[in-house]
Amino acid sequence: MRVSLATNTTSPQSQQRRWWLSVRRYLPIYLLIFPGMALFLVWTMFPLIYAFVMSFFQWNPNPVATSPFSGLANYTRALHDPIFYQALRNTFLYTIITVVGQMAAGLGVAVLLNTKMVGRSVFRIFFYLPVVCSWVVVSIIFSYIFSTGGLVDYIFGTVLHLISPQQNWLGDTALALPTLMLLGIWKGIGWNMVIFLAGLQGIPTEINEAARVDGASRWQIFTRITLPLLRPTISFASVILTIGAFGTFIPMFILTKGGPLHSTETLLTYAYTNAFSSFDFGYGAALTYLFAAFIFVLALIQIRVTRARTQY
Amino acid sequence: MASTLSRRQLFANAGKTAITASVASVALSEFLAACGTSSATAETGTVTFWHTYDVQGIENQTLLSKVIPAFNKKYPKITIKAQQIPYQSMLQKVTASIAGGNGPDVFRSDIIWMPQLAKIGALMKLDDVVAQRGSEFYAGPLATCAYQGHYYGLPLDTNTKVVIYNKTLFSRAGISAPPKTTDDFKAAAQKIAALGGNVFGYAEGGLDAWNILPWIWTFGGAVTDDAYKTATGYINGPQSVAAIQFLLDMLGAKQLSPSLLGGSSLGTADALGQNLAGMIIDGPWVPPELQKQYGSAQYDFAAMPAGPGGSINVVGGEDIAILANTQNKAAAMTWLTYMTSDEAQRLMGATGQVPTLKAASSDPSYPAYFSYYNSQLATSKPRPVTPNYTQIDTALTDAFTKALQKKTSVQAALDEAASAINALL
Amino acid sequence: MTTPTPRDPSPKAAQMVRTTLTYLLLSAGAVIMIVPLLMMLSTALMPNQYALHTPPLIIPLHPTLANFAAAWGQNNFAQAFINSVVVAVSSTFLTILLGAMLAFAFARYRFPGRNVLFYGMLATMSVPTIVLLIPQFVLASRLHVTDSLWGLVLVYAAGMAFTVYLLKGFFEDLPQELFDAAAIDGAGVWLSFFCIALPLARPALAAATIFAFSTNWDEFTWAITSLNDEKKYTLPVAVQQFFSTHATNWGIVFAATTLAIIPTVVVFLIFQRYFVSGISAGAVKG
Repeated sequence: MRVSLATNTTSPQSQQRRWWLSVRRYLPIYLLIFPGMALFLVWTMFPLIYAFVMSFFQWNPNPVATSPFSGLANYTRALHDPIFYQALRNTFLYTIITVVGQMAAGLGVAVLLNTKMVGRSVFRIFFYLPVVCSWVVVSIIFSYIFSTGGLVDYIFGTVLHLISPQQNWLGDTALALPTLMLLGIWKGIGWNMVIFLAGLQGIPTEINEAARVDGASRWQIFTRITLPLLRPTISFASVILTIGAFGTFIPMFILTKGGPLHSTETLLTYAYTNAFSSFDFGYGAALTYLFAAFIFVLALIQIRVTRARTQY
Repeated sequence: MASTLSRRQLFANAGKTAITASVASVALSEFLAACGTSSATAETGTVTFWHTYDVQGIENQTLLSKVIPAFNKKYPKITIKAQQIPYQSMLQKVTASIAGGNGPDVFRSDIIWMPQLAKIGALMKLDDVVAQRGSEFYAGPLATCAYQGHYYGLPLDTNTKVVIYNKTLFSRAGISAPPKTTDDFKAAAQKIAALGGNVFGYAEGGLDAWNILPWIWTFGGAVTDDAYKTATGYINGPQSVAAIQFLLDMLGAKQLSPSLLGGSSLGTADALGQNLAGMIIDGPWVPPELQKQYGSAQYDFAAMPAGPGGSINVVGGEDIAILANTQNKAAAMTWLTYMTSDEAQRLMGATGQVPTLKAASSDPSYPAYFSYYNSQLATSKPRPVTPNYTQIDTALTDAFTKALQKKTSVQAALDEAASAINALL
Repeated sequence: MTTPTPRDPSPKAAQMVRTTLTYLLLSAGAVIMIVPLLMMLSTALMPNQYALHTPPLIIPLHPTLANFAAAWGQNNFAQAFINSVVVAVSSTFLTILLGAMLAFAFARYRFPGRNVLFYGMLATMSVPTIVLLIPQFVLASRLHVTDSLWGLVLVYAAGMAFTVYLLKGFFEDLPQELFDAAAIDGAGVWLSFFCIALPLARPALAAATIFAFSTNWDEFTWAITSLNDEKKYTLPVAVQQFFSTHATNWGIVFAATTLAIIPTVVVFLIFQRYFVSGISAGAVKG
């Protein structure tokens, strides 16, 4: 693909000269990648391997104590652990719903904003503000407005009579995960709006004009022209958002700690609880590795799909 | 959410407003120091001490401005580096620091963490210290330092919960005396709930073992047998079922606030202070908080109402322990000994930390309400002392949640808890 | 709607309806986005007894700055803010510089180990950082960088996989002729990188910087694990600790959270054009 380093296979040269040439050729490149690679290998790769090793032990955090080797026991235990499956289910539900929800809402806002209109930048700021607020802060805000008898209960219960005004949003097994999803979607809309606005502005207006002249309705233009042209944007956003959603931990940590009754337990909260509250580090590591394996496969698929589609 | 926070967070705030400085104790310490009772020792070095005393409150102030200076008068060559760690992160931080080998030397541990930490070998054995000084402490708190026949710490402070009732609501509902039995309790809650509005007879902050076990014990139930061998027939026995049914009935009749189920952003002590709850059952850190936030609130104390099992509440508190990998054993031991001495116990007692040392059981500087807690302590019970306690707590909370959110019958929920706990024993 | 419909009979009226609808929808959306934040601000501005007031008060009653004074006085927010700035800026700088060097090498050169290193790095993106917590802590303890802002910087900068992934795409798209020409002039790997690739990749660098910065600014789990000394707390840790010790004192809690987000909101308002162009640069490339 890149020509600059086409391999030299012609004249028969002495071993030494060859070696010297390859050093001269590769040394600057290795020097270029060295600092970043060193940092990465030490602080990400090594801990990753260490955690992998941990998953085969009944790992004792105390360095002077012995940690018995337990083979695949931690993995088989996970496969027989109903909470693991519940956490897996919650993780996927949270990811699918928040990713789709954010993208749909963000795209909707972007489409509405994609005209010359008064107040456009003000709207853009409003929609983007939750993105710049830290997860810790927005989690605390949600614990307040979704408290029993709080703002949400007041508006939808007392005023609109759509629900009972005394909902136990974060304490009820049926409501807690949806509440966290609402938080995830609310926080992410602005980011999607910006992404999709950029995508929409990349579509030449002539295409829309031509379709209009041919008598296509707005809806037809949107589904047949705009959406297909937004594919690279959609792929990009879905990769980023999926990784982000899988890694969501702070709101659960702050608001529910995985409860009530594991209804907001995700693989991360479950692994964290096992490690730091039950001291079962080996099991915690095994859980996260099973999870990482899932994501890795998904990511590979997604990257493949992205590549195939952008090269149209 | 608020449920899990309220107890500890209030705990951390304990004693903010309580009590004028204990002039007597300081004078005593100066006297002792002047006599040079123990200043001959030559230990040196720095002792890192991790604790969960409220960083803004009187507990931390007392530690920094009275306890440590008094200690340094005796041991001028030892530097105490006190670091406050919020309660919620303490267990995680201590664990991580054990793994990293760079933790504190001395550590103030919630009593429920001790077996777990002892099991992984994180704590130094203190058998010889206990053999020498064990009899100076109350037996209940001392027992929380034991794991598999060895001692890993000394009791630092202890506590339990009693009924705190709102006198304004009691008189409005025409109730003349605090409840003595569980039936009285329910009747009083009924009368207060009848006042209407958002007023509840009884508010409880959550469904942890800490919140619910007192009722199970009071009704004559238990989590396991005394040897921690089985939960079957104990946590799912008829008395335990009756206790949960009692709460379920109160909840259904709106005598008990739904804040029990979590999701409330109003703490139970706040509900009491704002005349929205007639009774709460809580620890000695609550009165100072009430006094500070709701100066005009009218409240008084009563023992846990008596049921078939007696008037039983739960033992809480903290122990003080030395981490096994400390580099400075002698100085760490000196600090631990000082914190459990009569002088330090009295100084901290004045901030609302109930002393564990028999000799320090009373002092003019202690708050008046200590008497209620002291007499309740006589019948209070500890939560199961086992290294798997945090998992047992989860199993219990799950069962209580299922029963009180009516996901299953009370019996079915507790049966499930019994089999889950059996697997953890 | 399968057959093409003729254009609207009265374009002006239809346009009016459409514009009105657009504004209505956008306003409703904007209200949902902004009310939680207003609620926080209003609660912070009122004495605590009005927290949890029914009906909820979006406009504060008896406004006061007492909560702000209390929160500021108690929590050393200025220090936490400075810590956050130091950590986020230095770790982002490291991430971008070292990440760009890696991305450039991966994108434009073939060398032994290239695929293993690149795909190995890519694979780590799918592993949640919680997995790494304990091993990282053990390592940090051995190297004496726990309870230190440097420990945060190193760990944050090591999470550069996404930056590399993002920038590699940009570097691949630069025309080869540029580099050939440079090579003829005798420019080596380093010169090509610093003098050609880096200046051309400015939009991509902006996108990557915004990602890295917001991730590092927000990071909470590693910070709360490795920091013990409250003078070293970053903002998310300071705020969370505040929340857990004052859980029901909403006035003070929200004063603290407001103080914590004001700087980011201000920075966003000033630089919003760059935020937007930075993020979209990533999106359009795909």
